[in-house]
Amino acid sequence: MERLEALFPRLRGTAYRITSSASDVYNCIAWAAGDTEHWWWPGDPARTYWPLGAPRLETLAAFRDAFAILGYVVCEQADLEQGFEKIALFADSDGTPTHAARQLGDGTWTSKLGMSEDIQHALENLVGTVYGSIAQILKRALPSSPPEPR
Amino acid sequence: MATTPIGAPQTSTETSEERFRSLEALWRAETAHLSSSSKIIGHPTLREIIRMGKAVVPFMLRDLEQQPRLWVWALPEITGDDPVPVSDRGDIVKMTNAWLCWAKEHGYR
Repeated sequence: MERLEALFPRLRGTAYRITSSASDVYNCIAWAAGDTEHWWWPGDPARTYWPLGAPRLETLAAFRDAFAILGYVVCEQADLEQGFEKIALFADSDGTPTHAARQLGDGTWTSKLGMSEDIQHALENLVGTVYGSIAQILKRALPSSPPEPR
Repeated sequence: MATTPIGAPQTSTETSEERFRSLEALWRAETAHLSSSSKIIGHPTLREIIRMGKAVVPFMLRDLEQQPRLWVWALPEITGDDPVPVSDRGDIVKMTNAWLCWAKEHGYR
């Protein structure tokens, strides 16, 4: 815990919790996209996965395009919205994406921290020198539930 | 985030594996929270590991036998080989398996 709090001081004193063991298999972008089998990053195609059709560029626009392929659109608010799931993209002071977090059904967020663990946290907990600030919120409609049988 | 300067050059009493493990610990401490493959692979400590050359290949392969690791990103640069099919790139488990097959074929086990 101390290791994480040294990197992300805003975690201190909050109700965050570690929800997985560390893994080199997937990263935050994959986890936000619901994929635990790939390392998503638009860098070297010999090393990483990136959705076909999205530009392999380390820009917010390219990340938006990657999530657009999964049905996400830009939205203004990070608040919990009935019927939608949300992703927050973090970027450094140059606007280069650094991290993604996915909103859970209770309004908290889940993040895979690079090669480290997954954590459940408040969105603002990860703002700081390591991941920078929240640069973009994306949302997509959750699959609608089938009608209740009569 | 500032990076720690790479440690002192290998001493005459330090084995290649000790040097490798010491650099690995530093590299993981400074990159374990990152998602950017370019920052992870471009980190000066990993560059130092890669510059150690083929001496580190057995250590990386031994680690891969234990669990999937991002050593699969460094091995092509060190060995000049890449056994990973295009369709498996980015899948660290499949990339690890491809390197373990490569290891057998090249007499590492």
